[in-house]
Amino acid sequence: MEKRYQRNMKLMTQDEIAALKEKRVCVVGCGGLGGYIVEMLSRMGVGKITAIDGDVFDETNLNRQLLSEEALIGSSKAEAAKTRIQRVNSEVEVVAKAVFLREDNAETLIAGHDVVVDALDNISTRRILEKACSACEIPLIHGAIAGWYGQVTTIMPGSGVFSKLYPETAEKGIETELGNPSFTPALVASIQVSETLKLLLEKGEPLVGRLLTLNLLDHEYQIFEF
Amino acid sequence: MIQVNGKPMVWSEGMTVSSMLKEKNYIFAKIVVKINGVFIPAEKYETTSIHDGDDVKAIHMLAGG
Repeated sequence: MEKRYQRNMKLMTQDEIAALKEKRVCVVGCGGLGGYIVEMLSRMGVGKITAIDGDVFDETNLNRQLLSEEALIGSSKAEAAKTRIQRVNSEVEVVAKAVFLREDNAETLIAGHDVVVDALDNISTRRILEKACSACEIPLIHGAIAGWYGQVTTIMPGSGVFSKLYPETAEKGIETELGNPSFTPALVASIQVSETLKLLLEKGEPLVGRLLTLNLLDHEYQIFEF
Repeated sequence: MIQVNGKPMVWSEGMTVSSMLKEKNYIFAKIVVKINGVFIPAEKYETTSIHDGDDVKAIHMLAGG
């Protein structure tokens, strides 16, 4: 399908579109953030996407998770990501890993990718992922959401961001009080995809050493330096 | 005057992290606070003073995905 990327042509050169086809991105989590992330990466033409998630859909996902449908309740989120990507862009090579990322499998799962995208929903697994990305020398695009609030930062290997962002014993944030609507993950995921593209194409200014925070309720958007 | 998340806030004698959060209406318990780049644990909010001229960051802790 030659015209598939035509609307990308003002944003990217022909060479950049071709370069993107050789890139490999690993998305860890296929829920609120991850569903939008895999959708957008596949539409942009990233050559290989690995979608990791050991979870299955339940009814509480239906308010916000793009990949969730009533008919898929009980089904694998990773497999749903693969199915969706293949329908959207058959040129993308997709690998679905229906497993939870843990300390003993993290490096194996992410090895060989150019960028890893954090679409997780808890802090302890994020710490494991950050450590693995450092060991494998792969940049990590962090995103997190809670109610009207979101945040994104780009973590280069060895920079140890999560120890600056989260207290040592923390596991969950204010999403336990606020929940998660449909629009916040879509926005944060979009920014994460944009950050991913910047790294893959080596253009623009990724949020390295900086945390972008979004407050959609009061329209406050700030960038904090670490 | 102090800075809170990059915006000026009037400082008052005896200001603590707790009193600042209350005044700013940061009602959520899970919040990450730094003063002049130093992380302040939650158990010390009542007793940690904020001094005139301090640069305070108060960021809600987000971990959803």
